[in-house]
Amino acid sequence: MKKNVALIRRTPGAIVKRNEIAEALVTPVADIYETVDAFVVRLDMPGTSNEKIKLSIDSDRLSIRAAVGTLHKEGTGFLLGEIGQKAYHREFNLGDGIDLDRVDAVYSDGVLTITLGKTDAMKSREIRVN
Amino acid sequence: MLVRFEYPRTMNSMLDDLLAMDVRPTRSLFPAVDITEDEHAFQVLAELPGVKKEDVKVAFENGVLTLSGERKPYQIPDDARILMNEMRTRGFERSFEFGFDVQSDKISAEMSNGLLRISIPKAEQAKARTISVK
Repeated sequence: MKKNVALIRRTPGAIVKRNEIAEALVTPVADIYETVDAFVVRLDMPGTSNEKIKLSIDSDRLSIRAAVGTLHKEGTGFLLGEIGQKAYHREFNLGDGIDLDRVDAVYSDGVLTITLGKTDAMKSREIRVN
Repeated sequence: MLVRFEYPRTMNSMLDDLLAMDVRPTRSLFPAVDITEDEHAFQVLAELPGVKKEDVKVAFENGVLTLSGERKPYQIPDDARILMNEMRTRGFERSFEFGFDVQSDKISAEMSNGLLRISIPKAEQAKARTISVK
């Protein structure tokens, strides 16, 4: 298979200064799974950090916002710009059965993992057949 | 005026054209990459969420930088029920040719927060210099 190689070179239009790039609001890709005692939401959010992630949760809505901020030094010239300047935002509607006191979030390898614990009432509703 | 001559199109020639087309679904580039430069070095920044450091390979050969590796699936309990699946586990490879003199023995790379940062120092003679006029 022929290797696809992008030639990187300077062209006058390709050199863009940081302050000319507008910030875009990006919806991060997500996975959700359910276990016996929790719902787990995972979101791809590379380039942010614990301090920049804002989570809010109430009885019927989970909201995730995170700034990415400046990834490059001020005044650097761009030869290729695919990432852009962005912030993340995504919301999920929540059903019954989430224990708001048992919500946990971990950010690692650019992935945010939110664990939403189920209420005891929700857990006991499941009847397992062995 | 010159006009390109074309044979009248037949069903066969149209079918040939159709078969020659690449019909694979288009995928967004993974990883997305920024390349910037300052006075001393080129900086390559790649977004690799969910990819472990040990699953990434960075190579520089004949002026071509190649990033390759694999995003592996994460562990979930056996009895978990998947409700939504947008993340893709996949192998990746992207190559970039630098038509500039660089110090390939001084390339460094590090990963944090799902970002891979590679620094490629410029060769001394390739750096911009100001020459004082005497």
